[in-house]
Amino acid sequence: MIIAIGNDHIVTDVKIDISNFLKEQGHEVIDVGAYDTSRTHYPIYGKKVGELVGDGIADRGIVLCGTGVGITVAANKNEGVRAALVSNAAITRYMKEELDINVIGFGGTTVGKFLAEDIVSVFLNTEYKETAENKKLIEKINAIAPKNSEQHDNPEFFKKELDLWDEGFYHD
Amino acid sequence: MKIALGSDKKGFELKETIKKYLQDKGYVVLDVTEEPAEDFIDSSTAVSQAILEGKADRGLMFDEYGAGSFMASNKIKGMITANVTEERTAHMTTEHNGAKAIAIGSGIVGPALAKSIVDSYLDIEYAGGRHQVRVDMLEKMI
Repeated sequence: MIIAIGNDHIVTDVKIDISNFLKEQGHEVIDVGAYDTSRTHYPIYGKKVGELVGDGIADRGIVLCGTGVGITVAANKNEGVRAALVSNAAITRYMKEELDINVIGFGGTTVGKFLAEDIVSVFLNTEYKETAENKKLIEKINAIAPKNSEQHDNPEFFKKELDLWDEGFYHD
Repeated sequence: MKIALGSDKKGFELKETIKKYLQDKGYVVLDVTEEPAEDFIDSSTAVSQAILEGKADRGLMFDEYGAGSFMASNKIKGMITANVTEERTAHMTTEHNGAKAIAIGSGIVGPALAKSIVDSYLDIEYAGGRHQVRVDMLEKMI
């Protein structure tokens, strides 16, 4: 399978572990970054992974940040993406079997290495089990967000926020 | 602080437990599902609307796994929901993501842990600052 992976600067080391784990199993990995630990912003990478999956370039996506929340929310806010924030195999299995998720996210600082590998394995080795009921739920979820042509595949979508960041507008 | 709560059938019992827990602590609650919603999509979008329309400050969503409410509610522009199974994420998602709601799975999290998670979620404020650039990005999406 082709797996898109993305992360923020807090968990780049965990991302590399997951990338190696995927490659060892024969998967092709598209790593959208971040590639180092310089401060950056998780929505950039959640959007990139979401678009690779939503556009059908990658089969599935895996995203990581400190808790997994921010980057998984970002990935989910893309057309064609159904993302799950997961912390164990049971949630992952249910979400794949019933809601046919195509992206998972978890906390690189909250989920340990062995559990992370189990979660990834369940995500990749579980199949969607279509029923009339769950198909209806999926269609209902897919219909919540309207198409957003300004956002979709637009690499400049966050330009305003990034310019403001560079100008020092956002500070602690 | 006013807290919106909502659930489907599977999350209803835990929602009732947490509703009473919050009322006993003096919180004002807005129960958007006095009767269980038909599914977690209806319950989580109802909680989201209550928050986005300013009728509540934060939200709690209940279903069997939590992840369904996460997925449905985060498809709504402006909404940021975290589904959580432990206290640390509940705390950090308020502080860093300004999470407007958390989702708890009744099949995953027991009542004692659910209460502890809710305490961690409500006992802290959003930090703003550098985190706001990321929240602005999330709120701009979809």
